[in-house]
Amino acid sequence: MSTNNRAQLIVFKAIEALLEDKSLSVSDDLSLLGAESALGSMQLVELCLALEDHAAELGFDFDWTTETALSRSRSMFRTAGSLALEFSRQQDEKK
Amino acid sequence: MIVVTGASRGLGKAICDRLLSKGVAVFGLARNVESLSFPSMACDVSSYEDIKAVVKKLKADGAKVSGLVNAAGIASMNLAVTTPPQVSQNIIHTNLLGTIYCCQLFVPFMLKNHSGSIINFSSIAVALGLKGESIYAASKAGVEGFTRSFAREVASFNVTVNCIAPGPIDTSILKGVTAAQIQNIVSQQIIPRQFTPDAVSDLVELLLNARSRSLSGEVLHVGGA
Repeated sequence: MSTNNRAQLIVFKAIEALLEDKSLSVSDDLSLLGAESALGSMQLVELCLALEDHAAELGFDFDWTTETALSRSRSMFRTAGSLALEFSRQQDEKK
Repeated sequence: MIVVTGASRGLGKAICDRLLSKGVAVFGLARNVESLSFPSMACDVSSYEDIKAVVKKLKADGAKVSGLVNAAGIASMNLAVTTPPQVSQNIIHTNLLGTIYCCQLFVPFMLKNHSGSIINFSSIAVALGLKGESIYAASKAGVEGFTRSFAREVASFNVTVNCIAPGPIDTSILKGVTAAQIQNIVSQQIIPRQFTPDAVSDLVELLLNARSRSLSGEVLHVGGA
């Protein structure tokens, strides 16, 4: 399985575990920010902490405190897909 | 482990000494840590990148941070109209942004453990509106506002955030303040006497203690205001 696909699986599963509305299915375009967000702000924090743990298991440090992570327009939290891409990118970077 | 900023002098140093004397594991941050005989790292708290480097090191070491004491601070006793912009920026960057950055970057350790205490530092200058301290008071008022809102943001993770607001404690930050000026401020406190760093360390110990878990978003005035 490619890093991209593995990252997507990890991120989507982590999001799924936090969704209160279990009828929602996690897809690339599931919004994680703003009024349309599938997660509350505290759940987003919990998601980051969970991804930190997953990253540690995979041997890299998932950094969610970068400017890219926090800036609204370029945020990796825009959608489930953008978060999975960033997770994958950071994993690749640490190789 | 408790992370203490401003660990090389003044209140920060006194707090480190107290915690170390009680067997608490302390990690000190200061611009210059050469004089420190306990685990520490050089860090300018007004630099987000500096703090990130500390967090990265602590994570790599597998450290468990259960508390943060934001004691780093600078002061400049000037009328607002005669304060150069660079001085104002330094005060805001160190006192307010430094506190915010440290809270942002160290709180994930505590969120993960669903437990932690953060202690920020304000000043009696906010409550009393002291003349000649407007920029300093503005930075500390910001810290108080941040503390109250941030406390709500992390409360569900069992992390408390409080503020200690001392009067004129006898430390190097009072360099250049006359005895008459100190007396003038002290006389406006509810308990009109100058307190020592020990009194502040007592409050830090209290706020780090599990028995104070019911306190969050509070500003504790040393001497009363």
